[in-house]
Amino acid sequence: MSENILSGRGVTKSFRGLTAIQDVDFDVPAGAIFGLIGPNGAGKSTLFNLITGYYPLTRGEIRFSGESISPLPTYRRNQIGIARAFQISKPFPALTVRENVRVGAMFGRPGGSDPEKVVDEALAIAGLEELADRTAEGLTVGSLRKLEIARAYATRPSLLLADEPCAGLNPTETEEMVNCLRKVRDRGTTVWLVEHDMKAVTSICDCILVIDAGQKIAEGTPQEVVADPKVISAYLGEPLEEQVD
Amino acid sequence: MTLFLQTILNGLVLGGIYSLAAVGFSLVFGVLGIVNLTHGIFVIAGAYGALLLFKQFGIDPLVAIVPIGLVLFVTGYVYQRTIIQWAVSRASLVASLVVTFGVAMMARNGLQLVFGPDVHTITPAYSFMSVTFGPLRIDVVRIVALGASLVLLVVLALVLARTHFGRAIRATAQQPLAAELSGLNVRNLHGLTFGLGAAMAGASGAIIGIVQPFTASSEVAWTLNAFIVVVLGGIGSPAGALVGGLLLGLINALTAQYVGPSLTQAAMFLVLVLMLLVRPAGLLGNAFGESR
Amino acid sequence: MNRTLALLLGAIVIIAAALLPIWIGPFYTRVIQLFFFSAGLAIAWNILGGFSGYWSFGHTVFIGMGAFAAAHIAPNLGLIGTGPMSMLVAILLAGLFCGLFAAILAYPILRLRGIYFAIAMLGVSQVAGELVNNVGWFKGGIGVFLQTPLPAGMATEDFFYYIFGALLLLCFIISMAVRNSRFGYALLSIREDEDTAMMLGVATERYKIMAFVLSATLVGILGAVYGYSVGYFTTYTVFRLDLSLNLIVFCLIGGIGTLFGPIVGTAIMLFITQVLLSRFLDIHLLITGAIVVVIILLMPGGMIGALRKWRRPKERSSTVTAEASA
Repeated sequence: MSENILSGRGVTKSFRGLTAIQDVDFDVPAGAIFGLIGPNGAGKSTLFNLITGYYPLTRGEIRFSGESISPLPTYRRNQIGIARAFQISKPFPALTVRENVRVGAMFGRPGGSDPEKVVDEALAIAGLEELADRTAEGLTVGSLRKLEIARAYATRPSLLLADEPCAGLNPTETEEMVNCLRKVRDRGTTVWLVEHDMKAVTSICDCILVIDAGQKIAEGTPQEVVADPKVISAYLGEPLEEQVD
Repeated sequence: MTLFLQTILNGLVLGGIYSLAAVGFSLVFGVLGIVNLTHGIFVIAGAYGALLLFKQFGIDPLVAIVPIGLVLFVTGYVYQRTIIQWAVSRASLVASLVVTFGVAMMARNGLQLVFGPDVHTITPAYSFMSVTFGPLRIDVVRIVALGASLVLLVVLALVLARTHFGRAIRATAQQPLAAELSGLNVRNLHGLTFGLGAAMAGASGAIIGIVQPFTASSEVAWTLNAFIVVVLGGIGSPAGALVGGLLLGLINALTAQYVGPSLTQAAMFLVLVLMLLVRPAGLLGNAFGESR
Repeated sequence: MNRTLALLLGAIVIIAAALLPIWIGPFYTRVIQLFFFSAGLAIAWNILGGFSGYWSFGHTVFIGMGAFAAAHIAPNLGLIGTGPMSMLVAILLAGLFCGLFAAILAYPILRLRGIYFAIAMLGVSQVAGELVNNVGWFKGGIGVFLQTPLPAGMATEDFFYYIFGALLLLCFIISMAVRNSRFGYALLSIREDEDTAMMLGVATERYKIMAFVLSATLVGILGAVYGYSVGYFTTYTVFRLDLSLNLIVFCLIGGIGTLFGPIVGTAIMLFITQVLLSRFLDIHLLITGAIVVVIILLMPGGMIGALRKWRRPKERSSTVTAEASA
């Protein structure tokens, strides 16, 4: 339990001189639900893009289960156990929900049980059984978010990166999503959750990292983080109208 | 050394024509985001138009640019407002590419039916004159062609930079929705841009007719040339088209002289692939903003 | 439809097709032979364009390349001689050659997406045609011969009818196997969203190349056989841009990315051009072009898409069986 599944040291990313992430260190404990919060433009999504290999690191190192993942291309990172669910859902629109999840199950981390069993399990966790044979094209936002989680879970990851899975959902859907993430964690997959909204994140996370303007400003249990003056000022300084990253 | 300079000169002259032939394609690509595979047809139609006017009425191809430009402007406008508009809204962007491919085939077939499969050239009186600069020699038609191309490119650049119409086009390219909300008629502007592109292509065709032989089936080569020019120089601006066109002209002339005339297309294409590899995300340097 | 019924229907179609030349005259044998050839090409195109979403606008390059490769290989087979064996070997080697060429070409060209890939392929076919025509060694300008070792007592059109028929069957079986396999799912995910596919552990690069090479090999084989069937050809007999368009049109009409779409589309299109409008050969391109425009504007999903929409079935995934993971 005390082992870290993912650690970053001095993680830095700049785009043509503009530094989006600067010297961020982090340790994600295995088996936890780990939270990452920060105001708009703090670099949360960039950090996820660095972990999945969508962008290369400018400086620093990211280790997964003790091994550096910097040289690995995106698909290899998934194959060793890092999956990502997008905030802006990216389903395969012409495929059915089941087919979407099946792609994850057929690929992803090699080995394990029969892909069809994994598909069924993933659909069950996300509560998508009834929609399984519908094409992804016409789904509601809530169902699409669940599909993101189910498809990512089907790749049998040991770490699931969930990018604002609750953004834009109504209270019932948010509740379902939180339960779904708990189920994922209970089955042995570490969850790293990015959330914009502090309330949602404090209720389910074991441990939280706060970044602002590309730098780490706080880290600790939800209670510690909420009490941190730097966090409070970062959030109060934020324009009200922007709720979605 | 003289041979080398002569080759460079030939390349630059050719390049000027390439620039003009590509600028309409570039504009349409930059503003509408559409790769128009009918572009080469506009070029060749311009050449046939000039041929017809020259043979029937003895009108000089350079004068013929005006009526040809007008006809193609209208054709381009109508084509965009109907077929292209429908294809983009009802199907995907790639499907619209197929539509333009299909229309190109139809037009090519039509041109072949009307003018036959033979190779044509237009030969005004000054066709066989040439001037010399020291050891270098250049045909008058080529100078005329280059001059006309540069004049048209400059005019287009001024239109885009200085007029209300030009500003509206640029605004539409950068933010179609915002432009629409600011009271611009985006659909109409797209049609006008397309018409302008077609007119430029037709004008270049008239000029090409006096410099190079052409047939209906050369249309593919001119579409591909335009694409390569855009990749080399950047999308959407006359300056980019000029840079890309001149580069392409040089590549063409140097290859023909030092490698072999049958390999010019291959060399141009090699450059295209290398360019796309160096910039794998596609074509940076869009004069208007994000490209798709 | 259950499996046995499908197999039974398939068998009936195959037997009927095999017996058909007995009743129909040489003209219709040739028309159907052209249909087999074209449908095979369309299926091969569909494996790349339909499944993985990489629309090639220059697939004719592999027809030409296959035909010319066969023409240059066949006379140099030495020991094998000039019998039926030599034809088989030449065709297979020509297919292999196209596959190899595609594998080399894949590295730069498959890094391009969407319209860039489409146009790059158009360029490849244009350049390859130009080279074959202008570089003396290829003999594209003067033309090459390919002599068919015809079995005694068999009419040429019958011979090629059966060969193209068998090749169409082969293409269809391969396409079906691909569609229902892990490979097929990889291609579909690439078509739908390549970046997301990568994040789900799909080695997109590898699968794209596989699809490209497979498609090129099949087209190359068909091109080589086509070369044999015409006997003598020049560059412009086989490097035909209109064929590149036709392949897309066949798939578009039937439904891109579907299993039967390419076959249905080819049948419809050839019926229109070869049977209904056979007297207007010089406006074929005009007709083809017009059909493309109409199809895209009126039913972007093709016939099969339109049919599906019309029936609006509730469960789509049942058409795909799931025993594919092997």
